[in-house]
Amino acid sequence: MTEWHEKRHGLEQRIADWTSRTGFTISVRDDLGHLNLRGDLGSPGFLAAAEETIGQPLPQAPNTISDGDSTIFWLGPDEWLILTPAEKAANLADQLESSLSNQHAATNNVSGGQIALTLTGERVREVLAKGCALDFHPQVFTEGRCAQSGLARANVTIGSIGGDNKFLVIVRRSFADYLLAWLDGVA
Amino acid sequence: MFLIECPWCGERAETEFSYGGEGGITRPAEPDKLSDAEWANYLFMRTNPRGAHQELWNHAQGCRRWFGVERDTVTYHISRSYVLGDGVKD
Amino acid sequence: MQVNRLDKGGRIDRSKPLKFRFNGKSYEGYAGDTLASALLANNVSLINRSFKLHRPRGIIGSGAEEPNAILQIGKGAHTLPNRRATQVALQEGLVARSTKGWPGVRFDIGAINDVFSRLFSAGFYYKTFMFPQSLWNLYEDLIRGSAGFAKAPKKPDPDRYEHINAHCDILVAGAGPAGLMAALAAARSGARVILADEGTEAGGALLRSDEIIDGRPATNWVETIATEIRGYEDVTVLKNSTVFGYFAQNFLTITERTEGPIRQREWRVRARQVVLAQGAIERPLIFCNNDRPGVMLASAVSEYIRRYAVLPGKRAVVFTNNDAAYQAALDLHSAGATIAAIVDSRRTGAGDLGEQAKAAGIPVMPGHIVTNVSGRKRVTGVKIATWDGATEGMVDESIDIACDLVTMSGGYSPAVHLHSQSGAKNAWDDSLSCFVPGEAVQACESAGAGNGRWSLRDCLEDGARAGKVALAKAGFDMPDIAVPAASSQAVKPLEPLWRVPAAQDPDRCPKQFLDFQNDTSVADVRLAVREGYRNIEHVKRYTALGFGTDQGKLGNINGMAVLAEALGMSIPEVGTTTFRPPYTPVSFGVCAGESVGELYDPVRKTAVHEWHESSGAEFENVGQWHRPWYFPLPGEDLDAAVARECLATRKSLGILDASTLGKIDVQGPDAVTFLERIYTHNVGKMQNGRCAYGIMLGEDGMVMDDGVMARLGDNRFYLTTTTGGAAAVLGWLESWLQTEWPELEVYLTSITDQYSTIAVAGPNSRRLLHKLSCSVDLGNENFPFMSVHDAELAGIPVQLFRVSFSGELAFEVNVDSNHALPLWQTLMDAGEEFDITPYGTETMHVLRAEKGFVIVGQDTDGSVTPIDLNMNWMLSKEKDYLGKRSLSRPDCLRTDRKQLVGLLSEDNTTVIPEGAQLIEDLSAPEPVPMLGHVSSSYMSACLGHPIALGLVAGGWNRKDEVVYAWAAGCEPIRARIVSPVFYDPRNERQND
Ligand SMILES: [Zn+2]
Repeated sequence: MTEWHEKRHGLEQRIADWTSRTGFTISVRDDLGHLNLRGDLGSPGFLAAAEETIGQPLPQAPNTISDGDSTIFWLGPDEWLILTPAEKAANLADQLESSLSNQHAATNNVSGGQIALTLTGERVREVLAKGCALDFHPQVFTEGRCAQSGLARANVTIGSIGGDNKFLVIVRRSFADYLLAWLDGVA
Repeated sequence: MFLIECPWCGERAETEFSYGGEGGITRPAEPDKLSDAEWANYLFMRTNPRGAHQELWNHAQGCRRWFGVERDTVTYHISRSYVLGDGVKD
Repeated sequence: MQVNRLDKGGRIDRSKPLKFRFNGKSYEGYAGDTLASALLANNVSLINRSFKLHRPRGIIGSGAEEPNAILQIGKGAHTLPNRRATQVALQEGLVARSTKGWPGVRFDIGAINDVFSRLFSAGFYYKTFMFPQSLWNLYEDLIRGSAGFAKAPKKPDPDRYEHINAHCDILVAGAGPAGLMAALAAARSGARVILADEGTEAGGALLRSDEIIDGRPATNWVETIATEIRGYEDVTVLKNSTVFGYFAQNFLTITERTEGPIRQREWRVRARQVVLAQGAIERPLIFCNNDRPGVMLASAVSEYIRRYAVLPGKRAVVFTNNDAAYQAALDLHSAGATIAAIVDSRRTGAGDLGEQAKAAGIPVMPGHIVTNVSGRKRVTGVKIATWDGATEGMVDESIDIACDLVTMSGGYSPAVHLHSQSGAKNAWDDSLSCFVPGEAVQACESAGAGNGRWSLRDCLEDGARAGKVALAKAGFDMPDIAVPAASSQAVKPLEPLWRVPAAQDPDRCPKQFLDFQNDTSVADVRLAVREGYRNIEHVKRYTALGFGTDQGKLGNINGMAVLAEALGMSIPEVGTTTFRPPYTPVSFGVCAGESVGELYDPVRKTAVHEWHESSGAEFENVGQWHRPWYFPLPGEDLDAAVARECLATRKSLGILDASTLGKIDVQGPDAVTFLERIYTHNVGKMQNGRCAYGIMLGEDGMVMDDGVMARLGDNRFYLTTTTGGAAAVLGWLESWLQTEWPELEVYLTSITDQYSTIAVAGPNSRRLLHKLSCSVDLGNENFPFMSVHDAELAGIPVQLFRVSFSGELAFEVNVDSNHALPLWQTLMDAGEEFDITPYGTETMHVLRAEKGFVIVGQDTDGSVTPIDLNMNWMLSKEKDYLGKRSLSRPDCLRTDRKQLVGLLSEDNTTVIPEGAQLIEDLSAPEPVPMLGHVSSSYMSACLGHPIALGLVAGGWNRKDEVVYAWAAGCEPIRARIVSPVFYDPRNERQND
């Protein structure tokens, strides 16, 4: 029996088939689990309970990331995406459900529905600019910033994390094949 | 391509948003007490102004929030965008 | 032989000869040439035929303004129609053709139009081809054929294009002296700068200049400055790049003609500040036969000589109303040409340049005008008259001078196109006799010749000024920037000369062309006025003035002036013209960018897609999803495969990938309250663990979407939507939650991709799940129809729904998409003993139609209420819900509304085409009343005959009546109206 968190999508093959290119590399982050968290910052106790369970702060400023054992993206005034080691995702989802059970909150483990990609290299900002209207200048899209937008014709969550020219791009599973084909084309 | 200011995410390209029609139209509390004409007025009639227009926009590709926008229908100039008040499409 | 190539000079690379072909003949040019300069070097003067009159035409200009040398470049799928030879960089092996003229440009049948040109006056097309309207299609073909529009490639474009988004503090359009100064200021201050120029190198007009800047040749200065600008980290310099669009909020678009694997790139730039420094475009003078090959703009002549080392003529007449053309005369003279005369309409002659011309021994004829040109395929001479500067009537053209080149200058018009596109007006400047940029309405500054500054010193100064203003507005500190020293010559002002008087009446004299591309002449504009046109926009459309691909870059101002004269008005009274994007034509390829082929639109794939593909499925697109349509066995067609899939499912076991259903997680204490307002049924009465079929209506009462929903807990629901409606439904629910009922505590989360849905349907579906050691009791008591359980199947956690879209005993399995493929494989393996049969969307449609289940969007079209679908049982009387009030509007209560019915073809064999109209009486007079239409129609293998669903006016009262189904290309089919439920009307199978 396969482990619960094991990703099956065949995307590595697509990347392996690419001809090598300079200044741009991409990897599929099967090591990450994805949780979608909803909650009301105005409700007493929500923030404390959530942060205690996750063990790090929830980013409250729009378009920012909180980095720690988990990487937490601000998605909206009451919505976060928590990327956490895949093997811990289900457990964390359960813990959040129980610690927030007396709150108006919602947790969804969406590890199976999303694909996270790490894009690195000196050309990464240029490649992103070919499909996204956000400003990827290194002094604008600085480390720790994130945004939801469109990349080519797919909705994505993009975050600059872990290095100057390093980005996490999260896309819905059903769009991943298209997005990789597009990245292959423009990169 | 316009820039629209999402009250949460800041200025973003128009392509990230979807339009929700005229703002400030409140659903009648008790529709069954309305005459056909009154219901039709709620359902179909819009102000369609020349000039400042209160609109609803959704940051569909971003934070998924609905918010208000005041846009000039002649110049397209957006004079403000704002968080919707409690229970009021203003 | 490059007979017109000068021995030395120019910015061409003589060590790199390039071969090219034009109209089937081989020629040679050099790297650094444009196609136009290479053609002129080879003494090719006849380039094309004109659009309407098929007159011989040559090259007039040297840049974006060129109206004649519009050529077909390349062959086959690579071909590019309508490219300006003046902006096509010469390449080895380049192939070019004239776009007009049949059978050839030298002998052109259509040239007969010129002989009868009086018939082809303003509004010719409107007047001649107006009646009868039914022949217009034929006319259009004839006009296009003989006008010889360029050919679009017939094969897919093999080249690649791309888009790139960019953001900057300062965008500078144009890298002439003004643009370079502005960009230099911006770059030095540390701003993010984009400098775009349509030329192959920076410099603009300086590339054809012999001026001195800071004590050295201008081109030398250009190189230094351009190098410095390129050296700053946050500066992007784009050559071969035309800023072609200026839209709201300082959003500008640039096409970059690149070298390398990408043919063209479209830049989409959001600029905080814009500096427009695109220079000015020289105006032609409007005299008789001013379109003959060999009549050229003075600026172009200088450019060909100085930049490309091409001498376009041996014996020239220079005709001007301003000083600028004297430079061309001096350039011609020093390149070895004879200047027969400088004909200057001003009696005062020129300033400093005039003195230089005299010193060089060039004869100058002040107070004279060129009235006519002789020669057809090439200029052979001109007629000249003395002129007092005032006479508008006939003049005596008594002087003949032989020449092979006429160099003309009617002054300059600032290139105000982008300024105009930005939404701003242009203002007439009487002292400069041109339109200059009016007050800006966006964050932009105009500079240099584009701002009406003619001298080099003024351009440099104005560029620096504009750069500083833009920087200040963008919040940058002033950089240290000194304006370099440049000469400023004494100039005598231009004297406007919009229409050169001729030896005959302006309406009878040989044609004086205003718009070369569209063959619009002075007489055409005057005729339009006689016929009652007054407004410049009307005159432009009537005469086609400015409607070519050059958008009237040469002709518009002269045309307005001629109109003003004919109307007895001033030019500003006549108005200004509005320029629209694109500044120069843009290829469709770069508009599409990367969005072609497999990237045209995202293809969404389910987690089981790989299996479908390897099993030979045929796919169909459902929204953006790629879904298996049917799974043919070798030799099977659609009908055979679907018949087999249907029978197997009804008899034993079928399996369907239903993962594309939209899925929404609903949580919160107010979930019931919220969903009660959304759905028509009584959501609150649902027990935990139970499912319900739900429909949601628009406020107009029409069915918007449907799907199964399940209650997973007191405060938690799971909704499904149609495949195509997923995003729209979520947006719709959020809009009510956020804007109308924000007091409700409910969270909605899309989980469409998180869970894959596998449907197993058929009498053996329960046995299959049982075999996989399902962890829950699947019996009717524990697991009745329309209920849900968490379970494990073969050790994989799943959510099991006992629901059915086929009418059979069936289960839908929701599984984490990471495990969908192994689970699917496990089900296939375990199902072997039941002959498990994968089926696609077509079989799904047949099975549901046999049960009379509608598909929202196929059997409904936004004008169908639940009552029309006979779903009154789903409409709660106890609560309000969206759209409820509309259902009691008089129109929704009509008994003759179109209602859902079944249809059987009377011959029991014909499958009625979907979309067929239903009519009652074949002999009814037109317009025949339509009763409705067929919305779904299939051959039912289980029933052994075709079935159809349709919407028929008053259909329920027409049971057993016969109607006719009629579709294009078919004979009418007799069909009987029946119940829409064809199979198992008592639902015994799904409850089994
Ligand atoms: Zn937003």
